[in-house]
Amino acid sequence: MADGVEASPEGQRGHSVISNPRDFLAGLILLALALFALWAARDLPGMHGFAFGPGTAPRMFAMLLGGFGILIMLTGVLTKGPGVESFAIRGVLLGTVLVVAFVLVSFFSSKLMTSFGFRQGDTVLAALVALVLAIVLARGYDRGPLYVTAGTLIFAGTIRPLGLILASFISIVVCSAGTMEVRWRETVIAAAALTLFCALLFPYALNLPFAFWPRF
Amino acid sequence: MDLLSNLALGFGVVFQVVWMKLSVFGIATAIPVPMNIFFCLMGALIGTLIGVLPGVGPVATIAMLLPITFGLPPVGALIMLAGIYYGAQYGGSTTSILVNIPGEASSVVTTLDGHQMARQGRAGPALAIAAIGSFFAGCVSTVLVAALGAPLTSVALLFGPAEYFALMTLGLVFAVVLAKGSIVKALGMIMMGLLLSSVGSDIETGQSRMAFDVPELSDGIGFVVVAMGVFGFAEIIRNLENTEAGMREIVAAKVTGLMPTLADLKASTGAILRGTTIGSILGILPGGGAVIAAFAAYTFEKKVAKDPSRFGRGAIEGVAAPESANNAAAQTSFIPLLTLGIPPNAVMALMVGAMTIHGIVPGPQVMTKQPDLFWGMIASMWVGNLMLVVINLPLVGLWVRLLRVPYRLMFPAILIFCNIGNYSINNAPFDVGLTAIFGLVGYMLIKLEFEPAPMLLGYVLGPLMEENLRRAMLIARGDPMTFVYRPISAVLLGLAVLLLILAVLPMIRTKRAVVFVESEG
Repeated sequence: MADGVEASPEGQRGHSVISNPRDFLAGLILLALALFALWAARDLPGMHGFAFGPGTAPRMFAMLLGGFGILIMLTGVLTKGPGVESFAIRGVLLGTVLVVAFVLVSFFSSKLMTSFGFRQGDTVLAALVALVLAIVLARGYDRGPLYVTAGTLIFAGTIRPLGLILASFISIVVCSAGTMEVRWRETVIAAAALTLFCALLFPYALNLPFAFWPRF
Repeated sequence: MDLLSNLALGFGVVFQVVWMKLSVFGIATAIPVPMNIFFCLMGALIGTLIGVLPGVGPVATIAMLLPITFGLPPVGALIMLAGIYYGAQYGGSTTSILVNIPGEASSVVTTLDGHQMARQGRAGPALAIAAIGSFFAGCVSTVLVAALGAPLTSVALLFGPAEYFALMTLGLVFAVVLAKGSIVKALGMIMMGLLLSSVGSDIETGQSRMAFDVPELSDGIGFVVVAMGVFGFAEIIRNLENTEAGMREIVAAKVTGLMPTLADLKASTGAILRGTTIGSILGILPGGGAVIAAFAAYTFEKKVAKDPSRFGRGAIEGVAAPESANNAAAQTSFIPLLTLGIPPNAVMALMVGAMTIHGIVPGPQVMTKQPDLFWGMIASMWVGNLMLVVINLPLVGLWVRLLRVPYRLMFPAILIFCNIGNYSINNAPFDVGLTAIFGLVGYMLIKLEFEPAPMLLGYVLGPLMEENLRRAMLIARGDPMTFVYRPISAVLLGLAVLLLILAVLPMIRTKRAVVFVESEG
């Protein structure tokens, strides 16, 4: 998804040739996705005789997707229409940056963390990086996608090493920052109550195995 | 009577009693617990609880609640899911009436007159008539599902791979034609869903496809991940753009006087009957389901009314008809799923996902091999509808109070439940992270005016379609004309082509626009 967004500065408002920037961008993303899929499926064997190979159907779907993408791009040139709010594009782009940063940090720091004796520290560090990035990057309405993404990534990165209680609490507080109307004192109290509720509900009531506290 | 004995079997399953061993004061006793009724009740209750939240429709609700049913036995899980579905549907109507925010497209129509009634201090009767209408529609359509289930199953036995492929194509085309907005965009979404479904291992050779050597992707992208991300997370992110003040105008007046007057009942009897009929018929059609049924019932009611100008100003028929219709349609849309194994809409696609996780392959063989599951689910539909009347009418006050909780406190709670639930399915942090990505994808789709429902349908039907297409081609020795030579498949594909042509014709398109514009006016 991401590469399609990045490759389309034309998607912005006010371009002269493209009268319907939203549709144009929509089509462009589908086309980019289709090309990406074709590239990803390049090694899969196709038809042998009259039988489908593993690659036949994905390639078929991808070509059709690309075709529809081009059609939608055409409507973007031929019709008139509104653009996409710039904060939404920013939100999705920066959210993608967060995800990429999370993946890269957890990938490259795992050896380093193991040498410190903190075996699962890689994802904790990645979660921390995602949080810092979200705080640095968020402006106005793009904080919704940014903080929701950051909060979810933080939960993913900390649930194993830090346990249910810390992971939930931090994740709730970070997600709460997704709205402009956040009130910090209220949020911390609500997050504490919610964490307690989750700690009782999931391991006890639903009988799911969860570690409560950090283990090293 | 076959029908009666089958229904009896179903109710037997629903009312099944499990003896729970307990020791009270050292004396071992066993108390009878009607487990399945309990699941149904819990499902309806939790479904309403989540469904009542503004901006969260049935699809999002089911997607979020899927994980809690995974630990249950299959029959219990499906009964609970059915309960969640009806609860979510009804919760959506409650929000439409009280807050004027429809949780999903099928309750858009309810806001027109329902919210007006609420403003006139008649929220009670509006909610009650919605429940009564839904219950009546539920009773009728449950019998219909039971009656049509068996004969349609025998039709399914005539189907080979080519016919199945053609039928699924028709279903997808229906989803495209009935989707709001651009048809080409809906087609693109279907392709995206199909493409997503092909990530993972190839069905025949087991070769890894587009998984980039990520071990977590070797089984494909999790169904819950896609559904929860694209529907749940994306909706929440979108809602965050609105400020609290702009988001809801909750009816300030206390909800009093729940019972409709005799005049109300009289006025809505006809509307309920007509709504039920329209809904039952439209629900069976693939792709349509609840949305189109609600619109059709409302428009029809306006046509037959003596004084159409009352509509939009708090006419009780304007609540009764679409509410009955969408519930009837919700119910009869189980028919194609249970008999042919083909989900006609996004909600049913979620049901397929849940069934597959429990190792049940939906289709004609379910009825013969697992009659208790099949008939139990049908009976539980009726019980689910009963639960709605029993729970929701007394609990209206509670739902109103829940609606007053500010969204800034509500959405982190929903998100954390989603995350913990999602993680608990496979104990996989990877799935949680992937859901965050799909949340962003879904948000972008909303912003670009793509409908995510066709994508989910494509995603669920993908593996089935590919399998049947490959088989059909193999049987026909690679001759694609097999789809035209076989009569049933030719008719189905012909219908699909015809529908697409009709939908692309400009005249029909403007008509479609009128239907949907009406919802805003």
